[in-house]
Amino acid sequence: MTDTVPVVDTDANLDEVPQDKTIDRRWFLARTAAIAAGTTAAAWLPEAASAAPVPLGAHPFAYARNVRPDARGDLTELTIAEAAELIRTGRLSPVTLTEAYLDRIDKYEDIYLAFNHLKSRSELLAEARALGRKRGKPHPLHGISFAPKDNYYTHDMPTTANSPIFLGFVPDYDATCIARLRDEDAIMLGKAQMGALASGRGVIPGTNIPTNRNAWTPDDIRYNPAGSSSGTGTAVAARLATGGIGTQTGGSITGPSVAENLTGMAPTFGRTSLYGVIPLTYTVDRTGPMARDAKDCAIILQALAGPDRNDPRTRGLPPVPDFVTAATPVTRGRKVVPRYRTTVGVPPDFLTVSDAQQVALRRTMLGVLADIGYRVVDVTMPDEWNLLVGDLAETQHASGAHYFMPWLKQDVRLFGPRLDGFLPFVLRSGPGLLKLQQANLILLKRIVEQLFAQCDVTFVNAGNFNRPGLPTISMPIGFGTDNTTGLTVPRGVVLGGAPFGEQRLLSVVAAYQAVTDFHLRRPPDPTLPTLAATTTATARATAALSAAGATSFGGGSALRQHTLAENAKHPVSNTFDPDEA
Amino acid sequence: MAVTPPTRAELEAIARSTFALLDIDISVLPVNDPAAPMDQARIIEASINILAKEPILAAYEVDGQADATTLYPTPFLEWTR
Repeated sequence: MTDTVPVVDTDANLDEVPQDKTIDRRWFLARTAAIAAGTTAAAWLPEAASAAPVPLGAHPFAYARNVRPDARGDLTELTIAEAAELIRTGRLSPVTLTEAYLDRIDKYEDIYLAFNHLKSRSELLAEARALGRKRGKPHPLHGISFAPKDNYYTHDMPTTANSPIFLGFVPDYDATCIARLRDEDAIMLGKAQMGALASGRGVIPGTNIPTNRNAWTPDDIRYNPAGSSSGTGTAVAARLATGGIGTQTGGSITGPSVAENLTGMAPTFGRTSLYGVIPLTYTVDRTGPMARDAKDCAIILQALAGPDRNDPRTRGLPPVPDFVTAATPVTRGRKVVPRYRTTVGVPPDFLTVSDAQQVALRRTMLGVLADIGYRVVDVTMPDEWNLLVGDLAETQHASGAHYFMPWLKQDVRLFGPRLDGFLPFVLRSGPGLLKLQQANLILLKRIVEQLFAQCDVTFVNAGNFNRPGLPTISMPIGFGTDNTTGLTVPRGVVLGGAPFGEQRLLSVVAAYQAVTDFHLRRPPDPTLPTLAATTTATARATAALSAAGATSFGGGSALRQHTLAENAKHPVSNTFDPDEA
Repeated sequence: MAVTPPTRAELEAIARSTFALLDIDISVLPVNDPAAPMDQARIIEASINILAKEPILAAYEVDGQADATTLYPTPFLEWTR
């Protein structure tokens, strides 16, 4: 175990089963039948009900018992659990924490460009001071700084989805996810940059000039922060915010999380509300946390999850279980052990990727999981897998295309480089779309009955699990060389689980992070250019933006203009990638 | 007798006609400019790919009783268990 684990659980009931085991009887029967037929291993029967959540404010594992020295020296290093502990014990105030982030934003945001909109210093400090006057025991998110993606409605800030379509749009209410975070006293610093309309990499509206940089390559725009929750990823990794929430239709939470060395989760469809989120599709979109480790991810998810009267897709589903405990590493003596007995599936292509560095990192990671006590097995993919995740894998963009019909009719140029992710889908026939939806259900059943008959969690391509509504989580596993730029960048993997398998996914990542420190490493600060370099930047940036047809994003400091001028030298590919949605 | 599959030009015509039917004007885009944020060529290419998948979808046989069409597969599985 590393010395940096802030809190462990030494009294866990190892016979407890997470919620995924109690959900679908057909899956459970299939799994136990497979185990009985194919192995001599004991069938892992549910012996204790999955724990109900303890209210966040009283949760013993939501607060770190010790705070890492690095984080005490730089408050922007604090995880949510660490900051919560300092605030709970009166050693840190929301004002001081907010000021630390504002100072860092003042210094570096004009290079990162992680935000589409930032509230003013005076507004944010007023919010923080108001929290400081509240009575009662502070909850774990009390005074915690957030960078929500710019497609969540906020009543007090513009919500643009980084598209000219919504330029200047200020909703008159908060998205349910925003409201729930604010109910827990979280502070929304601003709205984070994103791929336009939740697809692809963030670009300046109307152009193919990239905006936010990857926090790990702050001096080089070439390395992709991935999309579409790219600004949230950069903000959390670059220590411009402690936590964030993104949205995922293909891989838009887990992709940027992998690219930025974060732990991000797209929970089971319906676990979190979509009310007040600008849709990409009605059927596949997901809201979820992007954080620095599994514990922070769980704390955010605990605040977000649950039925919402405004979103019928969240209703009639299993009760919200205890994610925070699930994300607390369990020890016996000094050894980290699995919280739940879990078989980790390794798909056939997982160790055959072309990048030898990636293969080595993955092998090492599998060894770590086995050392913890997880059973690691090769798995075969379900029947018709290549067809179901190939030709039948369209991400239901037809529903999004019809949502955006008024703007398609108004002017297709409003969609910029993302137009090909919308307009062509109006051509999908009604029967064709219904067939795709049936194929999604078949994909779900095959994963549940065939893949999860062999394992409890498995490494996945996020899009293949996202389409039928299954939960996924990313976790950092090391660093490697990007073949295109030669830069050293984070590497990670995505784990997928059974329906309502968030507890198990969080538990596996938390255990892995208890014995590794990749998730704790922080990227270098950007190099601030000299004044001379910025003196001519405004003219160059203006010319570049004008030439590229930008419809907004002008103005700002000389440093911002310098950044834009540099970014304009590296326009992004226009290819629509459904995994970046 | 085998049906002659539509030509690329015919598929392009379907796409352009549908856009026009829906009152969507793609003529405001450059015809073919890879450096532009978007052009007509890319829209037509993506559109033909969408249309070309229709026969694949039509040919995929499903059990309409067991695998009902559902917008939300995971909640559906839970609601119906």
